Amino acid sequence: MTATFAESDLCVESAVRAAVAAVNDPEYPDVSVLDLGLLESLQVESVTEHGAESVIAHVGLIPTFSGCPALKMIADDVQQSVESLGSIDRCVVSWLAGPVWDSSRLSVDAQSRLAEEYTVVLRRKDGSLLCPVCGSDAVMDQAMVGPTRCRSVAWCPSCRNPVEVMR
Amino acid sequence: MHTLADPPTRRGRSWSDLEQFQAFIDSGGMVEPGDDMPLEYRDEVFRFIEFHANSELMGGLTERDWIPHAPGLRLKQVFLAKTQDEIGHAHLLYMVAADMGVKTRTEMLEQLFDGRSRFHNVFHYQAVTWADQVAISFLVDAAAFASQRAVFAECTYGPYKRVLKRIVAEEGFHMRHGEEMLLRLATGTTTQREMFQAALDRWWWPAVQLFGPDSPPGDTDPLIRWKIKSQRNEDLRRAYVQKYVPLLHGYGFKIPDSELHQDVEGVWRAGTIDWEPLKATMRQGGPDSKRRIATAATNWADTAWVRNALEVRE
Repeated sequence: MTATFAESDLCVESAVRAAVAAVNDPEYPDVSVLDLGLLESLQVESVTEHGAESVIAHVGLIPTFSGCPALKMIADDVQQSVESLGSIDRCVVSWLAGPVWDSSRLSVDAQSRLAEEYTVVLRRKDGSLLCPVCGSDAVMDQAMVGPTRCRSVAWCPSCRNPVEVMR
Repeated sequence: MHTLADPPTRRGRSWSDLEQFQAFIDSGGMVEPGDDMPLEYRDEVFRFIEFHANSELMGGLTERDWIPHAPGLRLKQVFLAKTQDEIGHAHLLYMVAADMGVKTRTEMLEQLFDGRSRFHNVFHYQAVTWADQVAISFLVDAAAFASQRAVFAECTYGPYKRVLKRIVAEEGFHMRHGEEMLLRLATGTTTQREMFQAALDRWWWPAVQLFGPDSPPGDTDPLIRWKIKSQRNEDLRRAYVQKYVPLLHGYGFKIPDSELHQDVEGVWRAGTIDWEPLKATMRQGGPDSKRRIATAATNWADTAWVRNALEVRE
C-alpha cells in the first residue's frame, strides 16, 4: 500500500504547488510568484498534534532581493492560498537565505509577459538589450536602479520608450 | 495579440487637420513619438505628464521624510521602497516628457525647484504626525491610484501608457501597505485612534480634491476628447466617496464633512467643495509648499557635482 500513499502525497504536493502558483506578485498583478522563480522548496508532512492528525505544508521561498518590501505580503498571500486547500491544515512559509535569486529563474511565460505587458526585459548573455517595444538592439542604459531595486532603467532611441531591465 | 509592447506602426503618421486626428483617436488609435502629432495634443499631453512627474517626485520626497520616523524596521523598509518607487516613476515620466521636445528634463526640474511649476495639491500640506502619513498612504495614495488607473484605461499616448502600466501596478501595492498601516492604528489604543481621527480631519478634503475641480461640460476638456483621461473628475470623486465613506465609518471614524449624507438610493453625497483655498494652494501658497520646494531645490543643488562629473565623462 506504500505506493498509494506516495501517490496521494504527490497529489497533495502538486495541489500545494498549484496554490502557490495562484499567488501573483504584488508588483506585477498578473505574474505568478511561481513563474518569477520564488519557490525553492516544498514539503508536506503529517504530524500528530494534541492527539489529532494535522497536515502541514512547508513552503520555502527566496526573494528577488533581500530588501524587497513585498516579502510579508507574498508570504501572507501564499499561506492564505495554501490553507484554503481542504487537504492542508497549516502552511508555514519561510524566506530562505539561499540560493540567491537571479533572473534565470524566471519562467519563459513570465519573461514574455514582463516584456509584452510591462516592457520589462532581461539582459542578453552578451550584455546587450533588445527593446520589448520595437525590437531594436540600440537600447541604452540610463540608471542603475529604477522604481524598484530589482530593475534598472534604459532608453530605446529607436521607438523612444523608456525600458526597464530585470537585474 | 495586440499588447502594450506592440506599437501599431513604426513609421511616423501625420494628420491633415484636428478633425482627422480626432477620428484617429475615436477609432482607438494610439499616438507614438515618431508621429507628426498636432501641437495642441502634444502640449496638452506634455503638460499632463510633467504635472504627473512633478507630483511623483514631490511625493517621493514626502515619503522620504518619514523613513527615520516609521515605527519598526519593516515599515522603514516599506517607506524606503515607496520612496524608491516614486522617484523611479518620476524619472521614467520625465524621460517620456522630455522626449516630447517641449522642455528639457533640466528645464522641468529647475522650474519645479524655482516654484514655477505645479504638482498635486496634497504635497503642499504638512504631515504633522505618523498618523498623517498613514492617512496619506490610505486615502491619498488610493485617490492617486484611482485617477492614474482612469488615465491608463484609455491613454492615447503610447510611451505614457506603457509607463503607467507599471506605475499603476506599483501604486496598487502601496495601497495594500496603506490598508495594513490603517488597520494597526484602527485596532490600536485610544490615543492611536484619536491620532488617526485628527489626521483624517486634515486629509479628507485634500484627498477628495486631488481629483481636481469638476471637468468642463461635455467634451470641452481636450484631455477627455483626446482620451488621455477616460473619466471625468467628478465621476472619479463620486466613486471614491462611495468606497471610502463606508470603509472609514466601518472602522468607527468620523468624516469631517457636515453636509455628507446618503440620498434615498443609498448613494453618499459629499458636501460642496470650496475650490478657492485649493487654487491659492496650487500657486505654492500651501502651508508646507515653501519648505518642500526648498528641500527639493537643496537636493538638486547638492547633487550638481554628479551631473557635472557625468558631463565631463561624455
